[in-house]
Amino acid sequence: MAREGESRSFRRKFCKLCFDKVDRIDYKDDRRLTRFITDRGKIVPRRISGTCARHQSQITEAVKRARILALLPFTSEQYR
Amino acid sequence: MKTYETTIIFDPGLEEARINEEVDRVSQSISQAAGEVIEVQRWGKRKLAYNIRKRRDGTYIHIKHKSPPELIGEMDRRFRLNESVLRHLTVLAVKESPRPAEEPGRVGEPAVAQAAHVAPHEEKV
Repeated sequence: MAREGESRSFRRKFCKLCFDKVDRIDYKDDRRLTRFITDRGKIVPRRISGTCARHQSQITEAVKRARILALLPFTSEQYR
Repeated sequence: MKTYETTIIFDPGLEEARINEEVDRVSQSISQAAGEVIEVQRWGKRKLAYNIRKRRDGTYIHIKHKSPPELIGEMDRRFRLNESVLRHLTVLAVKESPRPAEEPGRVGEPAVAQAAHVAPHEEKV
């Protein structure tokens, strides 16, 4: 059995938000934000999503605000 | 005076007239404090991502306004006391000047790097 890293082909990650030339992420834009949370409702880390630092910190803030307004879950229903 | 965005989630059982009344009250308190209501958005009834006080839905109102900072604390206090408000959030509004000089530079960088990568490949092929 090959190690996980060897069998996987590498593809350079890139910041999807930079690619789309997003200037600011809005906490009201919950449709966009759902792409950056896991099915458990956690914020997807940078090492997984490939987001740049600037956009990641914007995502973090926006997700946290959206959670307060019940636009996004703090956690998914089945784990509650 | 600063620009704020306030979102209020009202109880879904509230009638339209009662919500209008509540919104008017907020607008009044803003103008009384020498502030200015810029925009009122009604998002209508939405499903909540999780239940708040056993409610599954909420009526969302989003108000953009200019207010003295002292008013925000007072507004917060009133929303907390108000039984028909399920949730509220006030944040500073983002200034609408995206610094145009910075943006092309940032976007341009990866493009230049890509071009450098592509060029030697093309020579080989």
